[in-house]
Amino acid sequence: MPITSKTFVRSTAILLLVGLLALVGIVGTSVWLADRSQVYLDEVTEARIARRAAVDLRASLLDMESSQRGYLLTLEETYLEPYQQARPRALEQVEALKQVLAPYDVAAEPVRQLEADVTFKLKEMDTTIALARSNEVAEAIARVRTDEGQQAMTAIMGFIDALITAVDNRLVEGVGNQRSTGEALRLVSLIGGLVILMVVAGAIWAVLSYTQELANARRAVEEANASLEERVRERTSDLGKANEEIQRFAYIVTHDLRAPLVNIMGFTAELETSVEEVRSYMDTQPVDEADPVASQARLAATEDLPEAITFIRAATRKMDGLINAILKISREGRRQLNPEPVELSEVVETSAAAVHHQVADNDGDIQSDIRVGKMITDRLSIEQILGNMLDNAIKYQEPGRPLRVSIRARHVPGNRVIIEIEDNGRGIAETDHERVFELFRRSGSQNNPGEGIGLAHVRTMVRSLGGDVTLTSRLGEGTTFIINLPRDSRGFIGRLGA
Amino acid sequence: MNNARPVTIIMVEDDDGHARLIEKNIRRAGVANEIVPFTNGTDALAYLLGPDGSGLVNKGRQLLVLLDLNLPDMTGIDILEKVKGNEHTKRSPVVVLTTTDDQREIQRCYDLGANVYITKPVDYDGFANAIKQLGLFFSVMQIPETD
Repeated sequence: MPITSKTFVRSTAILLLVGLLALVGIVGTSVWLADRSQVYLDEVTEARIARRAAVDLRASLLDMESSQRGYLLTLEETYLEPYQQARPRALEQVEALKQVLAPYDVAAEPVRQLEADVTFKLKEMDTTIALARSNEVAEAIARVRTDEGQQAMTAIMGFIDALITAVDNRLVEGVGNQRSTGEALRLVSLIGGLVILMVVAGAIWAVLSYTQELANARRAVEEANASLEERVRERTSDLGKANEEIQRFAYIVTHDLRAPLVNIMGFTAELETSVEEVRSYMDTQPVDEADPVASQARLAATEDLPEAITFIRAATRKMDGLINAILKISREGRRQLNPEPVELSEVVETSAAAVHHQVADNDGDIQSDIRVGKMITDRLSIEQILGNMLDNAIKYQEPGRPLRVSIRARHVPGNRVIIEIEDNGRGIAETDHERVFELFRRSGSQNNPGEGIGLAHVRTMVRSLGGDVTLTSRLGEGTTFIINLPRDSRGFIGRLGA
Repeated sequence: MNNARPVTIIMVEDDDGHARLIEKNIRRAGVANEIVPFTNGTDALAYLLGPDGSGLVNKGRQLLVLLDLNLPDMTGIDILEKVKGNEHTKRSPVVVLTTTDDQREIQRCYDLGANVYITKPVDYDGFANAIKQLGLFFSVMQIPETD
């Protein structure tokens, strides 16, 4: 069964709680049972004391009785000695019995009876001894014969026997209780131990299965990671191949387009030469207004044909320009980029110096604020990008306004560099913000020559360095180009087979 | 050019228009030698090296090869390689005249023994001029017989 971290925490907590309860149960029961044990022990001790007191009392009374009888028979004082010794003992023993049995309400009445009986018996014996001593032995024996003393003695013995029996029962019961308490303690300990054992087993199982789950998850993540990297590698290589294909395609297409263009231009030139010859011949011929065919031929040779040739030439020249532009970009894409340490501020300075004259002519200036150090990138690309940007700024400056160009560069998180080129030129309409980066697309009035490849070229170069270029602009106020480049292009160059 | 033993110009060019323009401009430069045009590599090689491929067929002739690199059935480099690799034709000058101006391609051609490499200029005046000068160059250059 899979175990999530939530169920793991919950089940562990529950197991711990169960274990704690079991432990508390064991401890509680143990304490309670120990208490009970103590009580039993106390009771047993008490019972033993009572039993002993009773037995002693019986012995004392029997001693006294036999001593009394001996004296009555012999009238020898020596026979009275045990009596004299036992008498105070018997009183003490009665007192002790009274104390031991004091907590038991049931025993109160019999104890009082016992005390009365003992007192009576003692009194009877004292009386008989006193009578005997005053030589009234017959009187004393008569007193004995009344059986009053004997009855009291029987009552006392009865009490003592009952007490001993009760105490013995009590002792047996106490031992039984003690045993059952021990039994209960063992049972509780056993059950508690079992519960704790189960808890521990459960906890171990939960930990093990959770660990197993974690290991599985980690393995899955590692596998996913590995396959992801593999996939990225595959895609990158696919992209590289596709890119290479496109470059080669562009190159081949432009070459193949050039071949027919050479023919068109070549034969147009040949045609022009021929037309020129025809025209010279026409000029030598007299003008014959009457012949419509001749005048039409003259018109064709002198006006229509040269005009057609002019248009053909203009069109082919334009096409030639476009093909050259594509060729340039495709060649640029095929160029091997060479990452090296480049000090951006130096490149900016060089680029600014290269256009200094053009800028200074119109009272313009170029400010730079470069806050980045060395970048690892392709120097030529950076030079071309900056050169292109500055050329554009000069080419599309607002007439009558001195050009102000500001080049700023700074680091941004992710080990990247932002280069901003801000100008106060004529700006780019919102609808053209993306379009200007497309090949052969130009924005605004077309009063400057150009094929519309500059920014497309810039974007191609920036992207092959692993960056991107965007712009913000307000028509009539100026444009800011934002170039985002990695500080170290080594990881990007060559990745796409550029 | 030595008229007693006329040099034959072998022109391998798949584009008829180019072939015609080249021929016209060579003629304008005053070169009257026979020009044998081919529009594909197979035919040109068959002519240059003979049906057996040995090159013996042209023994004793003076040949000058004008070679375009973009051919339908093979690249001009294949032809260059075979001509320069054949002991009978290896001394015949080969002029590569093509649209490709890729540096590696140019190097490769010279490595394989091309004598001259000319890129076809796209503007016609330049093209015509280059061909005319090439024609003038032909008229003064010495060409060995194949042996």
